[in-house]
Amino acid sequence: MTLLHFEDFRAGQVYDCGAHEITKDEIVAFARAFDPQPQHLDEDAGQRSLLGGLAASGWQVCAIGMRLFADGLILKSANKGGSRVQECRWIKPVKPGDRLRLDAHVVETNISRSRPDVGFVTFEWRIYNQEEQVASVILTPILGRREPGGA
Amino acid sequence: MWFEDIEIGARRELGAYTFTQEEIIAFARAYDPQAFHIDPEAAKHSMFGGLIASGWHTASVWMKLMVAARDGGGAISSGVSPGFENMRWLKPVRPGMTLTYSTEVIEKRPLRSRPELGLIKSRNEARDESGELVFSFIGKGFVARKT
Repeated sequence: MTLLHFEDFRAGQVYDCGAHEITKDEIVAFARAFDPQPQHLDEDAGQRSLLGGLAASGWQVCAIGMRLFADGLILKSANKGGSRVQECRWIKPVKPGDRLRLDAHVVETNISRSRPDVGFVTFEWRIYNQEEQVASVILTPILGRREPGGA
Repeated sequence: MWFEDIEIGARRELGAYTFTQEEIIAFARAYDPQAFHIDPEAAKHSMFGGLIASGWHTASVWMKLMVAARDGGGAISSGVSPGFENMRWLKPVRPGMTLTYSTEVIEKRPLRSRPELGLIKSRNEARDESGELVFSFIGKGFVARKT
């Protein structure tokens, strides 16, 4: 398989990274491990919260975004890792049975000034639910290797 | 704790957490299956020179410690957040490393759209055993107002 390199990315591109349907068991298991607040563990507590029902931890939404981005793009590219997230917005609660789909938009590309063998590709992850509502948006620059001998 | 009771500059240590190889691999298999997060042998040949935790794992452990601190009284956590800003993974987190997490209130303002709520911003950090900064971000949380 030919890996994607920095030169393959252009501002304006959109990569469809697939979807994941989240179950109640997954939501509760993640919450028990990392975010044991009542609205992530219990339906009644969720109803009483601003979320309006049992909802996934925002950190789990990020983690699922990472998984979709990895399977959809990163594992097919000459990636050297991410180092930062400029902004993450949790917009809609994610409920059991929601189908989360990730589109990765290329916002900009920059060649590293200090390291000419790499460049940054800034992606905006847009995570949609099954009703095509944006549940979360995450802006993150990823370090990508440049094509050897590339311009 | 109410919005009105929260003071800018209030800082709290959230405690320490040691990352094991098993946990690093289990998290990454589920959510971030890049070779340097799941395969110790392949990781040796990566730019990191060994297995490292997913950055989302480092972040999720912050939440775990934050909830524990809140349940113990003191730290502010509203339960609902609109997101975060400027998350930085500055140093790799390797198996056996112990990180010490902290949170500090840096900003508060009432919400115009939801008068029953205020928005709190916090600076959150994790440091390694030498006190070096490994991870940081600006968190946001909604907190109920008295009025």
